[in-house]
Amino acid sequence: MELAASVLLDTTLITLTLALAAFGLAIIYGLIGVINMGHGAMLTLGAYFTWAGLQLEIPFVLSVILSGFIVGFIGLLFEHWIIKRFYNSPYETLLLTWAFFLVTTELIKIVFGSDFRTVVNPYPGSIDLGFYKIPTYRTLICVFTAFVILSTGFVFFRTSTGIKIRAMIQNREMASLLGLNISLTYKIIFGFGCFMAGLAGGLVAPMLSVSPYMGDMYLVRSFFVVIVGGIGQILSGTIIGSFVIGGLETIVALFSDQVIAQVAVFFFAIVILRIRPQGIFSEK
Amino acid sequence: MQNVLTKISGEAKFELLIFLALASIPLVFSGYILFILPQYMLFGLLAVSLSILWGLTGIISFGQAGFFAIGAYAIGIVVKSTFLMNSAILGILLGIIVSAVIAGVVGYFLFSAKVKATYFVLATLALSIIIEQLAKSQKEITGGWNGLFVDRISISFGNLLEYSLFNDIPMYYFTLLLTIIAYALIKFLTTSNFGKILRGIRENEDRILALGYNTSIYKTLIFCVSGALAGFAGSIYGTHAGFVDPSLARVLFSTEVIVWVAIGGRNSIIGSFLGGILVASLANYLNSITPEYWQLIIGIVFIAVVILFKGGLAGGLEEIYHRLKSKNYVSARNP
Repeated sequence: MELAASVLLDTTLITLTLALAAFGLAIIYGLIGVINMGHGAMLTLGAYFTWAGLQLEIPFVLSVILSGFIVGFIGLLFEHWIIKRFYNSPYETLLLTWAFFLVTTELIKIVFGSDFRTVVNPYPGSIDLGFYKIPTYRTLICVFTAFVILSTGFVFFRTSTGIKIRAMIQNREMASLLGLNISLTYKIIFGFGCFMAGLAGGLVAPMLSVSPYMGDMYLVRSFFVVIVGGIGQILSGTIIGSFVIGGLETIVALFSDQVIAQVAVFFFAIVILRIRPQGIFSEK
Repeated sequence: MQNVLTKISGEAKFELLIFLALASIPLVFSGYILFILPQYMLFGLLAVSLSILWGLTGIISFGQAGFFAIGAYAIGIVVKSTFLMNSAILGILLGIIVSAVIAGVVGYFLFSAKVKATYFVLATLALSIIIEQLAKSQKEITGGWNGLFVDRISISFGNLLEYSLFNDIPMYYFTLLLTIIAYALIKFLTTSNFGKILRGIRENEDRILALGYNTSIYKTLIFCVSGALAGFAGSIYGTHAGFVDPSLARVLFSTEVIVWVAIGGRNSIIGSFLGGILVASLANYLNSITPEYWQLIIGIVFIAVVILFKGGLAGGLEEIYHRLKSKNYVSARNP
């Protein structure tokens, strides 16, 4: 029983952390159909800005929020200057966001150097449940992730902004004829996705070592989260996808090593791509 | 002779000129360039392997470096572990076959289910990462992080003649010869009916399907050919460089291939080939003068090419050529 409970807790932690990292990607991909290959670089940027904020003795929470806003702003500029002209050609947006990744990674290397940085865990220690100890910081992150996803859901389903966005996804031309400013909505969504990526990067920074390539692994995993969960199923899909990808990786790693676990997950994701391209549980 | 020359097209003349130039370089230059140029020719072939997917068929692969690495590891492992007479040829063949089989299986698996083109990109990205992770972790076979040393091979013909490729000039001509053969085969393929069907798939897959062609088979076949070509280039690279390590399979290297083809011109085989040679040598040059900024410069050039010239340099030159020829020329490129 206690073993089951601790496995359950562990899986929840992994699922929600992965969901946090994938959320920005899921928003941009699910709502405006752009495959943001720059997502990993945006996570990395968020982590570096948070690190820089701490060096300037800005408190951790404020640094993370600032990082989110700066990355969101960079995303807005990128959208405004480049991406907005290519919404109708998926290959071009894919290549351009990938180029964003290349250029950003190089700029990070030039500005910050290639060596590893550490962001000190602001809330060390753990919560003792008697049979199991959960790290405080990771618990806070999970609570935050749940909050973000639920409040996005609220905006999406319970406010007029949400209705407009859903109308836009269903029929872009019609929504535009009814007076919805499509290009502004796209811009806001893209910016929000980038903001979430920057925020997530800052939040995961204390759990990893910060390096110019830290976002890469998250990039591919986030894609698979989105695909396995189902594109457009931003809320439930992200959670389900993270549960499947993160959970599978943990279970396989129990029986073999980390590398094999990753290979197995990627292999699994390719199979899912083929047999259920609409997502593992979603209906057509 | 005059008659023959006027009969072949402008592009073929240009290709002939390029290969003649490559063949005459050892007569004029010596030293480092003779060592490094064969590597760039192999990169050129790797670029061609992407261009027959991307330019010809309209499929992007982020996994070309994976196949290149398979080829390089195949020759490294075979040369190391067997003492057969023609272990080198066996290694090259194995590199081609393994790459083609993996491409075939993955390609058929995905194409037969009509997986979206952008999803295919993600699948090849995952494939490349799987290959890299396996190369890193299977230490007994691949040497893990440390990689594998590969001797320069010798090609033997029975017991009579053994042709060692240890020196740079024999290696140069050996690579050039194989490059020309591979290039000619690809060229033949793209101008054949098979190539026409692939072009049709790029323009309108449903129409080709309606005409009775099984498009997923054609897409699988071209992915096989592309994988085989990348594996072939990789196997020669393995023996030329003398060293193979997991970084050959990394996604960043696949990206470089995409950059070469985008800059060279995705719709032109010779453009992609030259893109591979020129951008790789430019990268090498920039790396020596500004090691910090060269990747940044290449990244920015890449963005500029994607935004401004869809056809890359080859497409740009073609357009200028046509504009000069007739002032009323209307661009025939895709809108």
